[in-house]
Amino acid sequence: MRDQTRSTLDKLSIDHIVKRFGPSVAVDDVSLSIPTGELVCLLGPSGCGKSTVLRMVAGFEMPSAGRIAIDGEDVGTLPPNRRPTGMVFQGHALWSHMTVAQNIAFGLKLRHLPRATVNQKVAEVLELVGLKGFEHRHPGQLSGGQQQRVAIARCVVLEPKILLMDEPFSALDAHLRVRLREEVRTIQRRLGLTTVFVTHDQEEALTLADRIVVMNAGRIEQIGTPDSIYGRPGTRFVAGFIGTMNMIETRVQGGAARLGPIAIAVDAPEGPVTLAVRPEDFSLVEVGSAGSVAGVVERIIDLGAFRMADIRIDAGLVLKAQIGKGRRIAVGDTLALRPEHLILFGADGTARPAAIPIAA
Amino acid sequence: MTSLSAPLGRQKRARRFPVGLLLVAAPVILVVALVIYPILSSLSTTLNVDVAGAGRFSLANYARFFSDDQSLRNLRFTAWFTTTTVALLFLVCLPLALYLRFSFGRLPAFVQAIATFPLFVPGIIVAYALIRFIGPNGTLQSLLDAAGLHGYRTPYLTTWGPVIGLLWEGIPLTLLVLVSGLSQVPQAAIDAARDVGAGPLRILVFIILPLIRNSIIVALSLEFLRIFGAFTQPYLLGPASPESMGVYMQRTFGDLQDPVQAATQAMITFLCCSVAGVIYVRTIIANRRAGR
Repeated sequence: MRDQTRSTLDKLSIDHIVKRFGPSVAVDDVSLSIPTGELVCLLGPSGCGKSTVLRMVAGFEMPSAGRIAIDGEDVGTLPPNRRPTGMVFQGHALWSHMTVAQNIAFGLKLRHLPRATVNQKVAEVLELVGLKGFEHRHPGQLSGGQQQRVAIARCVVLEPKILLMDEPFSALDAHLRVRLREEVRTIQRRLGLTTVFVTHDQEEALTLADRIVVMNAGRIEQIGTPDSIYGRPGTRFVAGFIGTMNMIETRVQGGAARLGPIAIAVDAPEGPVTLAVRPEDFSLVEVGSAGSVAGVVERIIDLGAFRMADIRIDAGLVLKAQIGKGRRIAVGDTLALRPEHLILFGADGTARPAAIPIAA
Repeated sequence: MTSLSAPLGRQKRARRFPVGLLLVAAPVILVVALVIYPILSSLSTTLNVDVAGAGRFSLANYARFFSDDQSLRNLRFTAWFTTTTVALLFLVCLPLALYLRFSFGRLPAFVQAIATFPLFVPGIIVAYALIRFIGPNGTLQSLLDAAGLHGYRTPYLTTWGPVIGLLWEGIPLTLLVLVSGLSQVPQAAIDAARDVGAGPLRILVFIILPLIRNSIIVALSLEFLRIFGAFTQPYLLGPASPESMGVYMQRTFGDLQDPVQAATQAMITFLCCSVAGVIYVRTIIANRRAGR
C-alpha cells in the first residue's frame, strides 16, 4: 500500500522498500512518507516486519529493493553511524560500564565537541528527561524506567533528524509504560522531533500517534489517524487487530446480509461477507424492537468504567456488548441489541463503502 | 501457626546442615592435604636453617637465590616468556574471538574447530610435532628452501621455542573464554554505539573491550598461571640456559640433590603466580557480586 497523502517536503520518505532474508520476505513493498514533527506508530503483530522497517531506516539492515530518503537525500547505502537518525532500543541497550553522563556524552565526544559543550548538553538533556542528579550512577543502579529515559536522552542529545523507537516500553510494567509514553509525547512535541515508534500494543499506538501504520505479513494494511483506524478500519485484519470487534460471518443474498433475525441492506455482490460491530456500537433496546437482535447474557466482565457482556444470539453466535454501569443486568437475562454502526468486509477482506441502512 | 512453623523450619535447616558440610568436606580435605599443607611445609623448610642440629628462622635460602646470577636469569627468563606468550595469546585470540562472535555460517564453525583442536593434543606431542615442523631441517625449513628462501634460523632451542609451543597450547582455552565473554555482549549495545556514530575501532575500544574486561582478565590470569609453571614446552623447545623455573626446579631437585633450594625456587614461583591468582579470584568475586 502506498501512502499518497504526503508531499515531497517530507522528512522521511520510504519508497517501495522490500527486505528478503533468504527465501522469506520480511517487508514487502512498503511505502510511507512522514512530514517534520509527526509521530508515526508502526503497529502490528510479532513478525509483521515493523521492526525490520525501522532497522532499515536506522541502517542496521539494508533494503533488498526500494529507496529510503531523509530530507530528500537517499540514505539507503549509508551505515548507521552516518545517518541522521537516533534509535531507542527495546532493551535500553545502555553501556553498563559507563555512567549515565558517559552514556549520554559518548556520541557527543565522537563528534569532537568541546568538553564544556558536552557537559552543558548532557546537563540540559538530563533535565529534560527528569534525571538531574543521576549523572554519576551506572545503569545497573537505575530502575527500568530511568534506564529507558537515559536511552531516550542518549538519542535526543544528538539532535537527530528522525527519532526511531523500537518497542521501547515493552519491558516495563503497565503503570510506568503509561507515564513514560506521556513523557515521550511531551518531549517529542517540545523538540518537534519526527518520530517513528514501533509497537505491538494498540493502546500505546492509539494514545501516542499522530498517524498509525498497521502492518501485517510484511505489508501495510492501513495508514490513518488513530480515530480513523479505530472507527473506519479498512481491512478485516485491522478491524480484528485494533480494539474489540464482533466479527459476524454471513452471506449476501438478494442485496441483504443477515445478522440473526435482522436483514441488513448492503451494497455488495452475492457471497460470503463479514459484518463487524464494536461492542460500544450496540444500544440496548426493548426486546422485539425493530432492527434489534435478542440474546441471553452468558457472562459479564466488570472492567471498571463499564461492563462487557457476552450475549448468545443463537448456537453459533455470541456477541460482545458494552453495557453502562447504570444498567442492571445479570447472567441469564434476555437483552435486545441494536447495532448503531456496522462495517461490512467483502470476501477479499476489504471494507465496503459506508452507510448501511438497517431494515426491520 | 507462626510459633509452630518457625521451630519446624529451624529443625529442617538443622537437619540439612551436616549434609551440606559433608558435601564440601571431601574437596576441602583434598585442598588442605594436597595444596595448603605442602605450601606451609615448603615455606617452613625454606625459612629454617640447621644450626648445630637445631632449626632456626632464617631468610638465608631466599638470600642465596636472589644473590645467584643463574637463578635470577632463570626467573627473568620465565617472567619474560610468560608475559610475552600471554601478550601474544591476547593479540592472536582477540581477533579470532571477534571473528567467531560476529560471523555466521560454516567457515567460522570450521575455524573454531581448528582453533580448539590443540585442547585435545597432549603437550609432549605438541612439542615433538613443533620440533619436526620448526626445527632444523624441519617441514618449515624444507618448504622455505623449496621456495628459494634460504637462511632460515630455527627458533628451536632458543628463547622463542617455548613461546611458540606455549602459544600453540594456550590458544584454545583463551579463545573459548573470550568467545564466551563476547557472547555476553548484547548486539543492541553494539548497535547503539553504531547508532550514535561510532565506527568499528571505537566500538571495539570503548564498548566491547570494557564489556569483556573480566573475561580478558580471567583468560590471561589463567594462562599466566599455566605458563609460569610450565615444564614440557620449555624443557623440550627452550635453550639449556637460561631455563624456566619449572626445569630449574627439577634439575635442582633431581640432578643437584638440593631439595631445600628447589623448595625455595618453588616458593618464589608460587609468590609470582599468586599475583595472577589474586587477580583471578578478585575478578571471579566481582563477577558474582555483580550477578554476572
